[in-house]
Amino acid sequence: MDPYSSSSQSGRSGPSPEVLMDQVKQQLAQAYAEEFFGTLREKCFAKCVTKPGTSLSGSESSCISRCVERYIEATGIISRSVLSSMPR
Amino acid sequence: MDNASLDSPATAELQSFLEQEKQRAMLNELVAKLTDVCWDKCITGSPGSKFSSSESTCLTNCAQRFLETSALILRRFQSMQQ
Repeated sequence: MDPYSSSSQSGRSGPSPEVLMDQVKQQLAQAYAEEFFGTLREKCFAKCVTKPGTSLSGSESSCISRCVERYIEATGIISRSVLSSMPR
Repeated sequence: MDNASLDSPATAELQSFLEQEKQRAMLNELVAKLTDVCWDKCITGSPGSKFSSSESTCLTNCAQRFLETSALILRRFQSMQQ
């Protein structure tokens, strides 16, 4: 994780900006995916598993699949709505 | 670190990259928050295989009204502080 020690040519110039930027992008994408997963789990569990039984039923599982698809779609709708209300 | 002077072109490039990523992260955060709130408000039944037109209209309106509410409260808040 230390960008200075991960350089192969010990400390003279360090990793290039491109390498650092890639690392930052990857870490941001990872953090975003984890947070999104957590939200999906919370929202779809609340919607689809209203009375937890001894296992997930077929209808609960298919509700969860639809819920995940709809939540992703909702994110796109909201995103477009926000962008359309921004200047420029 | 003595491996690059602080105002090298590489540092400037990184700074503008980070600024850009920060903006992007803030926008993502806003969209995530709005989706969270508007999902609860607009999707009341169990999720179907496709949104009804009233559901998608509700989501679009919800996002707009939330931003409007936020601006309104901000103005009220600022006038209270004077």
